[in-house]
Order: sequence, then structure tokens, then C-alpha cells
Amino acid sequence: MQESKIQKINIVYLLGTLFIPILICALCFTISALYFPKGNGAVILILGPTVLSILWWIFGGSFIFKRKTKEFEHTLEENGFNKDHIFYGRGKVVIIDVEQGKIGLIFFWNPFKTYEFSASKVEKAWVDDGKSGSGFLEGSSRVSFLMMVDGIKIRVDTFTSNQRFRMNDNYILTGISKADMMVQTIEKARKKAK
Amino acid sequence: MFKKLRALFHEDWCPECTETMEVLKKQLYGLPQMVGHYESHSDASYYIKNLTKVTKKADIPTGYYACGAHLYRCPKCGNQMVKLSIFLPVRDQEKYEETFFIKNKEMIKYILEN
Repeated sequence: MQESKIQKINIVYLLGTLFIPILICALCFTISALYFPKGNGAVILILGPTVLSILWWIFGGSFIFKRKTKEFEHTLEENGFNKDHIFYGRGKVVIIDVEQGKIGLIFFWNPFKTYEFSASKVEKAWVDDGKSGSGFLEGSSRVSFLMMVDGIKIRVDTFTSNQRFRMNDNYILTGISKADMMVQTIEKARKKAK
Repeated sequence: MFKKLRALFHEDWCPECTETMEVLKKQLYGLPQMVGHYESHSDASYYIKNLTKVTKKADIPTGYYACGAHLYRCPKCGNQMVKLSIFLPVRDQEKYEETFFIKNKEMIKYILEN
């Protein structure tokens, strides 16, 4: 767990996740072309890495993130952190200990680095209901809560969609309620931390 | 027969004699259920055990469900029932989850006393 500046994306991990399978595929295809142009060897060298790469891109990142999140939660528990509120957002998990005024964070694109810090480091927390348009076009496709930590803006989505919904739609209202509750919890933790 | 059918579309009509029922009591309660973790319960015992009386909507913590209770009584046949509307208060709006009509005597007694 780090008290260092928050890094939402580990560029080495991001590029590795995306491009290492491509490099392995390219290597296997080259070996196949040079030494096994036909037969079982060619099938294994072409299909194997391709299928594995696709599986990796679909499931690999989420598998690592879920595993690291579980490990993080376990470590926090061992350190006496009370998990009063956990929000499993898209690409990030926020864990709040209201009584001790602490916040835990882990990011999808930086799963090997976890953050545990005092809630007093949160400069500001607010809700963005994503409202845009006017009149009958007024609506939103994303609701999130945001917090500013050390000058870094962290956005956690409570609702996202590729469609636009009216502001009184059940999806939007649920998203707003979740975001409001998380902001209120962060504020409570901030007060306790001071 | 026709009135019985019409009664199906009027929740404040007595299901027995199709008379408009009067509201004996209206009360707002808080439910110990959070947004994103709502579980439906239709049994009266759950509500008797978990409802917490509140005076106004603002008393319900953010992200928690509320329950609006209406106690109805038929002036003609004396039939009584409770309507429970479960909703999530979100700022100045309400997201309705479900509505139950309960005839349970204990539930009626609970609403009258609390």
C-alpha cells in the first residue's frame, strides 16, 4: 500500500496487456512460416496464440483486477481497516473506513499498486449527474461521483450507458442515489480524519 | 360484476364491496435497505420488524429506501388493509420499487400504533 501520489494508469502494464499478446502471436506466426508451414505445428502455432490472446484481452485484465482487489481488501482487513463502504466501480474500487477517516483505492489499469490514505487528503468530492440538453432533450448517459486527491481527479461511474435516459428515469435516479451516498460517506470520513 | 372489474384498477376501492375506502392513517417509515441491494419482501413480519418511523423524507439517510404506509378502512363493510409503497428518495424525486396491499391483522395494528 502506498501513500505516494496516485497513479491511475500504469503505462507499462497497459501497453504490456495490449501488445505482448500481439508480439507473441507475431513470433509464433514467424516460427510457423519459417519452420512449420503445414501440418499440426502450423495449426498450433497460429491458432493457439491467437485464441489465447483473444481470451487474455477479454478476461485477463478483469481476472487480475478482481484478484488484486480481493488481496487488497484482505490486506486492509489485516491492517484494521473497517470496510464501511465499498464501491465496485467500472475500472476502480473505492473502499471507505468512516470511523478512522481512511480511503482505499485500486485501479484497473494499475492493479499492482494500491492506495490507502487519510480522507483529509480529499480536497473535494462531488456528484456529476451528466445532465445535458434542454427541454425534452434533457437527459444523461453517465452518472458518477468524483473526488480530487492531491490535485488528481478520480471519477467513479455509478451508471453508464450507450443510451441517453431522461433525468427522472429509474437508472439515472439509482445512479444519482449511489453517487450522493458515496459523496456523503467521503465527507463523513473527511470530517473524522480532521 | 362490472364494478368488481373496475375495482381492480382502483387501489383505494374495497375489494370486497367495491366502496371507496377512507384513509385512516398515513405514515412514512425508513427501511434498512440500501440502493443497489434492494430485496423484495411481501411478508408483513419483515415490515413489522424493520420499519422505522420518520417524520419527514429528509430524515431518511441518503441511499436508503423508504416506505409510505396508508391504512385503509371500508366505511361500508369495515374491511381494513395496509398499502405499503416502497421507494427510494433521490433528492426531490422518488424512485418507486413496488407496492404491497397487506390485510394482516398484526400489520394493521402495527401501523395504528406506530
